[in-house]
Amino acid sequence: MAGAPPAVVVEGLSKTYQVAEKAPGVWGSIRSFWSRKSRDVHAVRDVSFSIAAGERVGFLGPNGAGKTTTLKMLAGLLHPSAGELRVLGHRPYDREADYLSRITLVMGQKQQLLWDLAPIETFELNRAIYAIDRGDYRRRLDELVEMLKLGPLLDRPVRNLSLGERMKCELCAALLHSPQVLFLDEPTIGLDVTMQEQVRRFIFECNHRDGATVLLTSHYMLDIAALTPRLLIIDQGRIRHDGSLESLTREVAPERRVSVAAVDPRLAELGFQEHQGRMIRTVPAEDTNLLLSRVLALNPLWEVGVEAPPVEEVIARVFRSEADPRVEARDRG
Amino acid sequence: MNRVLDRAFTFFRVALAEMVAYRAEMLIWVLSATMPLVMLAIWDAAVADGPVRGWGQVEVTRYFAVNLVVRHLTAAWVIWELNHLIRTGGLSTWLLRPIHPGWWSITETLAAWPMRLVILAPLVLGLILWRPELIFWPELANLFAFPLSVLLALWLMWSVQASFALLAFWIDQSMGFFSAWVALWGLLSGYLIPNALLPLSLGEAARWSPFYATLGAPVELLLGEAPIATTLLLQLAWSMLSFLLLGVLWRRGLRRYGASGA
Amino acid sequence: MGLMQYRANFLLQFGVGLSSAVGVLLPMVFVWQTNPVIGGFTLREAMLVSAFFLLLGGILGTVVEPNLGATVDAVRTGTFDHILLKPVDAQLLCSVRQVDPSRLWEVVTGVLVGGWALAGLPPPTPAQILAATLMFGSGMAAMYGLWVVVISLSFWFVRVDNLRFLLGAVVDTGRWPVTIYRGWLRTTVTVLVPVALVTSYPAMALLGRLELQAALGAVAVGLGALLVSRGVWRAALRHYSSASS
Repeated sequence: MAGAPPAVVVEGLSKTYQVAEKAPGVWGSIRSFWSRKSRDVHAVRDVSFSIAAGERVGFLGPNGAGKTTTLKMLAGLLHPSAGELRVLGHRPYDREADYLSRITLVMGQKQQLLWDLAPIETFELNRAIYAIDRGDYRRRLDELVEMLKLGPLLDRPVRNLSLGERMKCELCAALLHSPQVLFLDEPTIGLDVTMQEQVRRFIFECNHRDGATVLLTSHYMLDIAALTPRLLIIDQGRIRHDGSLESLTREVAPERRVSVAAVDPRLAELGFQEHQGRMIRTVPAEDTNLLLSRVLALNPLWEVGVEAPPVEEVIARVFRSEADPRVEARDRG
Repeated sequence: MNRVLDRAFTFFRVALAEMVAYRAEMLIWVLSATMPLVMLAIWDAAVADGPVRGWGQVEVTRYFAVNLVVRHLTAAWVIWELNHLIRTGGLSTWLLRPIHPGWWSITETLAAWPMRLVILAPLVLGLILWRPELIFWPELANLFAFPLSVLLALWLMWSVQASFALLAFWIDQSMGFFSAWVALWGLLSGYLIPNALLPLSLGEAARWSPFYATLGAPVELLLGEAPIATTLLLQLAWSMLSFLLLGVLWRRGLRRYGASGA
Repeated sequence: MGLMQYRANFLLQFGVGLSSAVGVLLPMVFVWQTNPVIGGFTLREAMLVSAFFLLLGGILGTVVEPNLGATVDAVRTGTFDHILLKPVDAQLLCSVRQVDPSRLWEVVTGVLVGGWALAGLPPPTPAQILAATLMFGSGMAAMYGLWVVVISLSFWFVRVDNLRFLLGAVVDTGRWPVTIYRGWLRTTVTVLVPVALVTSYPAMALLGRLELQAALGAVAVGLGALLVSRGVWRAALRHYSSASS
């Protein structure tokens, strides 16, 4: 893998929208008839990263951070305002047929399935659109139907499917042409927990079987934690972190939560506090071992747990520390 | 070539399935567009006291029977679909595919023909039972020119509608412009008023308009009231012109879509 | 580009209003120039029908359609619950929640056209004016009732948009004097979708051509439509609460 060219290269990518400002109401409309202002919104600022072929990368950030904008630029829907980007050696915004046949973008909130027909009809349509050989199509469809358990859904009108069933069919439609790069924008949004898990496992398998490169955005930390070894955190259009979840945790939340399944005054003396029938104390990571040995010295039979802060907490800290110069410094380092 | 045929065939098959799924809606749409029958009643009353400019009740019935059929063979609805796709961002899913979305829209438009004809058949049959003398035998040349003329009219109608839809890239209430076009179209296309019954100079001018090319032209071609070559050439000219305009709007619109958020 | 857009929208409101009025009036002018009297109506008399048609379109578009459209959406999205929770009659609330002032333009045109038409006709007697008002009122009541029925259907069938579309197409036939129509077409516009009651009947009342029998029939249709629609609406509400609980 080391010698292969990267699947995605992004350098100094920026996207600025011009947004019209309009006072609300009829009067606002009338006034803006004479004088209109527009302001620039910097959705993405000077973003650089590269993704190796076959890598799985998670794109994380609050609403409006620039995730979707970046994804749309990569898929060729948006023109960058500045900077360079190459995917599989193509400039995405040229929208060459050859390029579009090698990628896919799944948007959790937009659908390509024909609403009043059975999903199989959209699949057939995509077979023709992507000029997939009939034999390949048959094999690929069987494979996807099995992985996603679509069998009973194939002949039911899309409008009668549940949101989760629809999402699975969307994924199938988007992957029939065996794209080499998968851009997924909130693929699990609105799905229940089991369905989320199924979609996650499916994406993982796709990456595993086909060696496809995966770049996905999500609100759900679990998606990210379970799926993508590498994390790109974006906030206010800038990349704030590029690396694994562990390295992020080490940097931003370098402490551990030690909890003991007992309530004991001696633990309180060690600085523990009671919480839902357990005693809990948070310490810097390097002090964990010392504290553990003290606790076990009191009673070696206690059940003791050590946890890093939950992912949500870690991410929240990244976004909270916007003004924190340490994070900026770490990013550069 | 094989790929082109496969695409065309698959597109048509899926679009046909879609039309079958929409049969109930299609019935309502077709019944909602039976204005030619109302106009037949109006003109029937207008010429009841004696023929006007050579138009008696038989001519009027003939004209509006053909009008009704042509109206439905040249019906496009791309403006509503495309407008919706642009405003909701649904166009993105089409831009991600390695094919121009226009092909699908054209296929859908053509795939509606069988269903429309099935729904229209009883209406036309009713007209024939009511006034059997409306049956006529067109000249062979006109009979051959007619389908060509209908296709050109549909092409023009489709590209005009698509052009209006693309205005949504720039303007929020782009549909308003279309309603102005529809009002003019009703007057000048021959839909409500046969071209020959318009005030004389207006009728003469309207004969050269794109409105007439979308409806009046094929109707009068079949009835043998319009010169074949001139009419087809006129339709071709307007179709090409509007198609060029559509191409320009599409390229500029996509650039804007790509700049301001898809 | 932004500035242009706002100017365009501004002109657009005007242009759309103008084109809809032109679309109603000009075909009539063109038809009547081939024959001065059609269906017993001169052009000026037929214009009176157009005037009432524009009034009808304006009122339906300003008050009735936006509200009933919003109700259909509310039923589909489930926000209708909020309406039921208010201590006011739901039908009343659904009928007055919002207005679309842009369609008032048609009311203005209707008044202007009506004024022009009446100026060239013998002045109507007070009794004729009263009769015309009564006809227009009953006709509007009937149309409103019909719309309520269509909307009520949305409690059972989610997709009634197409039915509204069809209804709009039938209403459109009301712009021509009803005396022109014969057979099933006439039955449709006087009884099934009683648009003629709003357009032709008031005009005929002003022209002194309305027979008492027809006038009484129109009032009966109006009242009947109101009662029936109220019944259907209540049944729809019962269906709604039993379906969602």
